[in-house]
Amino acid sequence: MAPLVGIIANPVSASDIRRVVANASTLQVTDRANIVLRVLSALASCGITNVLMMPEKSGIRRHINRAYERAANLKEDIFPQLNHIRMDITSTVEDTLLATRKMREAGCAAIVVLGGDGTHRAVVSQCGDIPISGISTGTNNAFPEHREPTITGLATGLAVSGKVPADIAFQSNKRIDIQIGDAIRDIAIVDVAIVTERFVGAKALWKPENFRELYVTFSDPEVIGMSAIAGLLEPVTRDDPDGLVVKIVPHHEAKTILKVPFAPGIIGPIGIGSWQRMKAGVPAKLDLPAGTIALDGERELAFDQNDDVSITLVNNAFRTINVSAVMQYASRNGLMRT
Amino acid sequence: MSNNPFPLPKEKLLEAYTKMKTIREFEERLHVEFAKGDIPGFVHLYAGEEASGTGIMMHLEDKDRIASTHRGHGHCIAKGVDVNGMMAEIYGKVTGSCRGKGGSMHIADLSKGMMGANGILGAGAPLICGAALASKYRGDGGVGITFFGDGASNQGTVLESMNLAAVWNLPVIFVVENNGYAESTSIDYAVAVDSYIDRAAGFGIPGVTVDGTDFFAVHEAAGEIIKRAREGGGPAFLECKMVRFFGHFEGDAQTYRAKGENEENRANKDCIKIFRKRVGGAGVISDAEFEKIDKAVMHTIEESVQRAKKDPLPSAKELLTDVYVSY
Repeated sequence: MAPLVGIIANPVSASDIRRVVANASTLQVTDRANIVLRVLSALASCGITNVLMMPEKSGIRRHINRAYERAANLKEDIFPQLNHIRMDITSTVEDTLLATRKMREAGCAAIVVLGGDGTHRAVVSQCGDIPISGISTGTNNAFPEHREPTITGLATGLAVSGKVPADIAFQSNKRIDIQIGDAIRDIAIVDVAIVTERFVGAKALWKPENFRELYVTFSDPEVIGMSAIAGLLEPVTRDDPDGLVVKIVPHHEAKTILKVPFAPGIIGPIGIGSWQRMKAGVPAKLDLPAGTIALDGERELAFDQNDDVSITLVNNAFRTINVSAVMQYASRNGLMRT
Repeated sequence: MSNNPFPLPKEKLLEAYTKMKTIREFEERLHVEFAKGDIPGFVHLYAGEEASGTGIMMHLEDKDRIASTHRGHGHCIAKGVDVNGMMAEIYGKVTGSCRGKGGSMHIADLSKGMMGANGILGAGAPLICGAALASKYRGDGGVGITFFGDGASNQGTVLESMNLAAVWNLPVIFVVENNGYAESTSIDYAVAVDSYIDRAAGFGIPGVTVDGTDFFAVHEAAGEIIKRAREGGGPAFLECKMVRFFGHFEGDAQTYRAKGENEENRANKDCIKIFRKRVGGAGVISDAEFEKIDKAVMHTIEESVQRAKKDPLPSAKELLTDVYVSY
């Protein structure tokens, strides 16, 4: 029997304040649904017969159902059997968390994720050893690579079908744990930013004068967002066991002023105090006594002097499907030849 | 370091709480009084939605215009309309904001920039485009805010106004107060595009969705988009996701709601409880200070009801006065 694949498509990402302040793109619900349909076709072409999907109430399912109906009318056998998880829908991140747990219970071999860094983080917090395939539909996306979703679907299908050796198909990734007191309160998969705002509010980060500390799992000068700050100082790959820590200071105290694309369409100066490699397993303490911890681009946790906060890099934290490696292997070994 | 972690000084936090609490008590009291049969017409209560109107209106001045809805009491109070005048208006008394001729769905006070509640769904949007055009023409930095619900969002007037605001780059903020129901029809059934942000994008208008039960989320997002509109940044769309505690209108049996939905909303989605817990928990406002406000608000509302009940009705001679405006 062919392996089961899960799909989590977050319908509510891409609606934060950066639409207004930064001309960030809006990926419409019908576009999200079309991406899912392209992934479904790609999975079916690799022999995947059953897919499990997170339900939502924002229109993705309705659009997909209409496409399935049209395909049936036209006698086009291009989609796998699609089932939606039976669960109460809250239209919050809780849906993503619950759906991921349900996909684990159902024995999914991989989960395709449509969303931004935040959605991917939510899935990673629950998916355990199940590899994920990321498709970017959010705002400041550093984690999911930008690629035509059909290719992501093909790579996922090839990887879970066992047609590609596991050491090529799957890649391990780093995460950052945020501990407050004795408990790990949350995780990040790309960056942890410490900002001076002491309330969560509208969540998005768009005021660089408030940035103070930055911890990243990887840094890439080709990505956007907080991790771009690190990427323009010292690139650290996803395979590298280290992360990077950057101390951000007011411009008059800065050793370096860096022009950074910290949000789509916003390239602004950031004062850099210092930066250094971050070693896995070594907890770091914050310099800022009170503020907010932003995880993968969104303010999530407010803290003050009474909170003992530590930040720790963790290696081999979760797996992803290495789309590039899978497709290269498929080409070299003729996996797509009929 | 200040012990206030919020983006507003304490006096503004007290003001925000007072406004939200005043709206809540105003509506809770109307819920009781309407059942007695003394109030003419219909009332549509805003209880549960206070963080939206208050979070937005904290950024406005009297010169800024708002166009409200049939569920307009909260917008009026948040914009600074006199509570006694409002209550008298709802009772149809001559001391009312509109001399008792408008009632609940037509309370207006132009001196406060409140262009009126509106019994016609979606009718506020074109009106606010006019007000915003006037501000733009005069160059006075004023902005216009139009509120509408998830039901009225489907009206042609709203869509045409979004187009007009985009074409003329007007300082208009379109605010959909999405409580999930168009009267009794669920948004899941009745809104084809599914995402309001998508719909705004279709007109080239940037949009933001916030948790409308979180005063600070509304306040921060609204502050940014209002500031931009004021400075010539053009129209924007704000979706506040929220709950209403009562039915569409007073007397609505609410058979469309899930079992336990109202109780869940009151327990976990009460924007005032959330505000109080957060601000009180941070030690910025004490329980005693909150209770003092609660008591003062109760007194204000009680007084407004007693005055409204005693005040006279408009005389028959006034039937045709204040009805038409000549230019």
